[in-house]
Amino acid sequence: MRFKVAIVLLLMILSTTISTANPGGKGDAVRSRDCAGSCHASSASNGISEAVLDIQFPDEVYAGLLMEVHTSVGSVEVSSNKMVGLALLVNSDGAKDLPANDGWEVVTDPNGGTNNYVEVTDSFSSQDNVSRAWTLRAPSTPGSYSLYLAVQHGTANGGVAMTGISSAMQVTVSEVPENLPRLSDEWEPVNTRGLGEETEITLQTVNTDSATIELKNGAEIITIPVVDDKFVIPAAVNSGVVEWRVILEGEGPTQYSPWFRLTAQEPGWEVDEFALYLQGFALFILCVGLVILQRPKGGNIEVNKYDNTQEVSTQFGRIQPNPSPIEEPQIRGPPLPEGGLPAGWTMEQWEYYGQEHLDTLARGGLQ
Amino acid sequence: MISAGTFHVISTELTIGMFALAGVAFLLCVLGKGPASREAVAHWALLGGLIATPLAIISGVNAVPGDGIDNPLLANKLLLSMASAGLAVGVLLRRKWGGEVDIRHASTGMISVGLMLTTAGMGGEYSRGETLLFLIPKETVMLFPIWASIVLLILGMIIVGKSTVEHRS
Repeated sequence: MRFKVAIVLLLMILSTTISTANPGGKGDAVRSRDCAGSCHASSASNGISEAVLDIQFPDEVYAGLLMEVHTSVGSVEVSSNKMVGLALLVNSDGAKDLPANDGWEVVTDPNGGTNNYVEVTDSFSSQDNVSRAWTLRAPSTPGSYSLYLAVQHGTANGGVAMTGISSAMQVTVSEVPENLPRLSDEWEPVNTRGLGEETEITLQTVNTDSATIELKNGAEIITIPVVDDKFVIPAAVNSGVVEWRVILEGEGPTQYSPWFRLTAQEPGWEVDEFALYLQGFALFILCVGLVILQRPKGGNIEVNKYDNTQEVSTQFGRIQPNPSPIEEPQIRGPPLPEGGLPAGWTMEQWEYYGQEHLDTLARGGLQ
Repeated sequence: MISAGTFHVISTELTIGMFALAGVAFLLCVLGKGPASREAVAHWALLGGLIATPLAIISGVNAVPGDGIDNPLLANKLLLSMASAGLAVGVLLRRKWGGEVDIRHASTGMISVGLMLTTAGMGGEYSRGETLLFLIPKETVMLFPIWASIVLLILGMIIVGKSTVEHRS
């Protein structure tokens, strides 16, 4: 029997397959470069991605101002779910490599969040080139900086986790000209909104005499007026992304902001948490009650479990085969007369005074 | 310090490991086979899993990105784990009060284990997008109105109180 069980267990172990770690992705996050869990498996389950990776910077990058970079991934075969994890990093060491370590700020990632690692599902293949835009705020200190694009993905046949990283992409961050029309350092774009609601955005500008908003509407570009540094983006009927930018004019050269992406999304799933917690607690109490409602059968189960009286008695009986008979309680005092106790006597009186009574009767009944 | 996510993995593996052990032992109790220690193993493992359960729940709530419960999977995880913990507490109390480990008792223990394993399976789908629980409607949350939950709560407390008094007497 044990041999059969061992064989079954062995077959079950041998039938397991080694798969890539986190095939469904890990979710967007602020994350250093890692192996996506694949390093916990054998070396045969890891691989170096052959994807062609690139980062495109704008011509001018000013310290502390918003900018847009485009990352592209091409010539890569991925798993059937067509998912690739993209990470913007500042070195390839796997430590202290977050953009924030060099002063970069991810204002809008390709998925509408503010993460340096995003998971993108698109038509990745050896023929296609997939591009994504990131809105970053440049470091506040001018100088030369490096950015890397790292990827992790599966393979067409599965079973291997691929990782790759681009070479260092250099970008020069310049000092901001004194009279440059620009958005203020404190201003942050709105990234998300709900369906069916207009979005009013207030601009904060510096060295700007006038501002104009351009909104992409399919292939055409719509101009939206700015009144008192405020403008309104029309409501979205369906989920999707609208892109807009601001053109800033002043004494200095006219500036075009990056294309900001405003993602319209259906309202997330909501629940009355008080009702949920209350129901959870009610279920807990009810389940406890329903189980203990069953009356215990055989209340002496604990006694039975540890009661070895029978076994001990048996062994004891073997040692003392002729146990002493149990002594019956003996009646003290003289034997009872044939007629039983005299009238009015109790047994206790007979034990103490019975002999005296018999002696008196023997002497003829005289005191 | 470790993150709430890492601590959740540790506490979850403790919980699920002990519940799984209890489930196997309860199965042996139902079948009436295996070593005589199966009853003790089942209940002690269930107790161990029950002790680790609050740690798993608290660390799981802290590890969730965003604010509050914003996913039906999380809501179902909460309800299932509470129901499972309730059954487990009931099984342990009944045993402590001298209840016989019959088929009904062991089956209740197995249901508790099953609910907890289902909860863990949902966690896998939430964090990794994968699960073996294909046929369970995990996206549907059966949320009672508050008055119904209060009625259930009162009903449960009455049953617990009544049963406790009966067992003491």
